[in-house]
Amino acid sequence: MQGATVIVFAGQFRVDSFVEFVNHRAQRLQLDAVVETATPDCIEVAVSGQPALVDAFEMACSLGPIDCLVRDVWRKNASA
Amino acid sequence: METGWYPVALAEGLERGTSTGARLFGRELVVWRDSAGASHVWEDRCPHRGMRLSFGFVRDNHIVCLYHGWQYDTAAQCRYIPAHPDLAVPSTIRVATYPSIERLGIVWAYNELDSGAPQDIGFAERAPVTPVRSLYVDASAAKVFDALVLAECPSLKNAGGATQRSRTDALVSLKRGGDEILVAVQPLSDVEAALHIVIAGPPDVHSGDSQKRVSAWGEALRREIEGAARPTGEVHHGVAP
Repeated sequence: MQGATVIVFAGQFRVDSFVEFVNHRAQRLQLDAVVETATPDCIEVAVSGQPALVDAFEMACSLGPIDCLVRDVWRKNASA
Repeated sequence: METGWYPVALAEGLERGTSTGARLFGRELVVWRDSAGASHVWEDRCPHRGMRLSFGFVRDNHIVCLYHGWQYDTAAQCRYIPAHPDLAVPSTIRVATYPSIERLGIVWAYNELDSGAPQDIGFAERAPVTPVRSLYVDASAAKVFDALVLAECPSLKNAGGATQRSRTDALVSLKRGGDEILVAVQPLSDVEAALHIVIAGPPDVHSGDSQKRVSAWGEALRREIEGAARPTGEVHHGVAP
């Protein structure tokens, strides 16, 4: 996804639950989001849209659904 | 839970620029009136953090969440986020709403979130009514209807003959001679209900003594219903004059 910010969430995940949460929040914030990696300990999401809403997305996902635990969040270099 | 129109508040009790909480079949609703006088019934939940909007406040034609100040217009669309004053708020940030209407001095909601065009409400507006009060009852709406089927219309200005009773959806009419009271029943949960009571007729005729009589009648009805709902409870049959 061109111009996207890649946000990495590390922790313990029920993958389906977290991906559903990611997609719902992205839709709510009118962001384009693509889940690039989804494993029980790491979820990577390429997200683009208004910067303030990308920040809000990161904050929302750092809390996550009740059955997931986010231990760390960081951003990777934007994709080309 | 039956889909349809249900009362959620007495219209007179909802002043311009105020909000209040209500329940319908266990769901939480915010009922608010904008500065232009229009009432709104929405899900009582800010899309941001889930805060009850009924705890918020109304400014002009926006209801504002108490938590972070997000503002929603009368179409339930978020219009302003104080932490990001320059943000173009996405159209996807909006509150879920119930269709609502005011009839007979009562605010009614159609209990289907974000539904399209609901069926028309089953009764027409009519000549002015005199609001009396809302009463909360520790009994199901079904038990309230059972009691209303047997209830007598209190004597007001033009009583005479037997009480005629009719029901349209959640609205019960008790009529005796020229007197008529209307009782709208709001199912709060499986075991709780609210009654919204009005007198058919203008306030200049019925305010004061008639309102007191009907209010006392409502309290007696509540005692009777709650007494009947308790297996070993005391049952009151008295109806205030």
